Amino acid sequence: MSPPNADLRLRIVDLVCAGGGGHIPSSFSIVDILDSVYCHYIKTQDCNLVKQSDYTFTLSKGHAACALYSVLHKYGYLTSTILETYLQYSSILGGHPDSTKVPGAEASTGSLGHGLPFTVGRALAAKIAGSPKKFFVLVGDGECHEGTIWESAIVANNLGLDNLVVLVDYNKSSDQICAHNSLIEQFKAFGWYCLEADGHKPADIYAALENALDSPNNKPRVIVFNTIKGFGVPMLEGHGSWHYKIPNNEELVIIREALNS
Amino acid sequence: MTDTVLDMKSAFPKAIESVGKLNNKVVVVVGDIGHFAMQGFAKDNPNRYYNLGILEPTLVSVCAGLAKEGLIPIGHTIAPFIAERSLEQIKLDFCYQALGGNLITVGSAFDYSTLGCTHHCYTDLGILGSYPNTEVCYPSSPNELIALLEQKYNSPFLTYFRMSRTSHGEIFENVEFGKIIQVRTGESITLLVSGPQLKTALVLAEALEQEGMSADVLYCHTYKPFDEEAVQNSIAKTGKLFVIEEHVYNGGLASLALRCSRNTPSLSFDCHCIPDKFIRNYGSYSDIADGLGFSAESLLPKVMALF
Repeated sequence: MSPPNADLRLRIVDLVCAGGGGHIPSSFSIVDILDSVYCHYIKTQDCNLVKQSDYTFTLSKGHAACALYSVLHKYGYLTSTILETYLQYSSILGGHPDSTKVPGAEASTGSLGHGLPFTVGRALAAKIAGSPKKFFVLVGDGECHEGTIWESAIVANNLGLDNLVVLVDYNKSSDQICAHNSLIEQFKAFGWYCLEADGHKPADIYAALENALDSPNNKPRVIVFNTIKGFGVPMLEGHGSWHYKIPNNEELVIIREALNS
Repeated sequence: MTDTVLDMKSAFPKAIESVGKLNNKVVVVVGDIGHFAMQGFAKDNPNRYYNLGILEPTLVSVCAGLAKEGLIPIGHTIAPFIAERSLEQIKLDFCYQALGGNLITVGSAFDYSTLGCTHHCYTDLGILGSYPNTEVCYPSSPNELIALLEQKYNSPFLTYFRMSRTSHGEIFENVEFGKIIQVRTGESITLLVSGPQLKTALVLAEALEQEGMSADVLYCHTYKPFDEEAVQNSIAKTGKLFVIEEHVYNGGLASLALRCSRNTPSLSFDCHCIPDKFIRNYGSYSDIADGLGFSAESLLPKVMALF
């Protein structure tokens, strides 16, 4: 059985193969979460689902840019013609998103640990302005090694930023390096409202997002999504050489079979 | 606009309160430095003052986020904790994303003279000026600080203010961002100076007078954009340039001056900056300045060697 969002996963693979670079497993890890956020909360350019001004999404782990580009394409922010230029000299689409060039990219990320504190500033600005805006920001569990994640955790709690929803892509990358004792307990200890969900089941993702947004407490919110790096294609899953690798023709056949089955 | 009796310590809150009155989008964010000085602004501007804590990289990123939402951030803490510790946040969250804002630092160069190198910062002007989408200035008198902040707080660039603790003691009625101030006019040599060292340059100019030479004394409070024309006009007249600044040799005023003098034939040039070593001494600001040779007596032979 093919995974959810097989079309987005195929587009990610096509991008990496055509451009000659990119992080397929990291993109597969988050693409189901991104699609849920855009589908349910971010206004598409093709149809008017919700008020665009109420929600923004920021990808902090910028190396999963191909997932963002694929989702932005699906929802009309990027044309197929633009996608075809990925990684070319004059393209707006690089290996990490550039917010000054990419429509829908809310921050220029790549170096880890920037997206969250930047979004804390935006959430604070909304509070100052009395705006109803809410801010999703996606970080990786490896990224949670960065000190600015925990500096931000202190600040967001201290400022009562209940308009901030952090989405942790917990694909266990950190376990390969320096394992967290418990991300949930760590965020709880910092005073956050914490949830946990399967990051590859669209219904579970949506339920967790709704729960986070609906909770009446005044804490910042975090959803730790249990994910699998490379999810959907067994050959790509895990923490090996596929982190930054371009499939050859034989491998492409295997990937397409897994996604089309 | 300006109050000529203030010292630098009291000028800072006055400058902040002034821009707070000019624009209700100004938000001040400090890293537990200047907290008590900011209480006037905080009282006058509810919800526009935040003491985030001792987490400078996040402070800078939060300021960039405020800017992204259309507010005007002013971030403040000790210079090395912003310019060096939080450099990547400046580079990526402000500069790369072309967001405007303000960072005002206290503890210029070796102002924290007894605290050692953890609290020194001699590289900031060169580093900050090296990134696109920045402006860099070095106000060293109360009037300058207030004037420069009022002029640039709402700039589309990230504006870095290196605020010295000591004033050079001169009172300039007209301070224009990006414009060098001609403090003294002469024919024999150009003395280009920044920061509190203007005081040294003026004493040096007097000493040169005793030697029968007159000095053009140019005071530079803005490093980026740099007023090349003022320097070029002066050295075209004098043919000799001596630069004095509390910054490392690389990337500061001496570097800017040399670059803009590339078309001046037969220029005699020298400079006195902070040497390529950590300052491990203590004592007063003046003790360290003297120890580094920032005195007219020490500089006179170096300048005379250009003749």
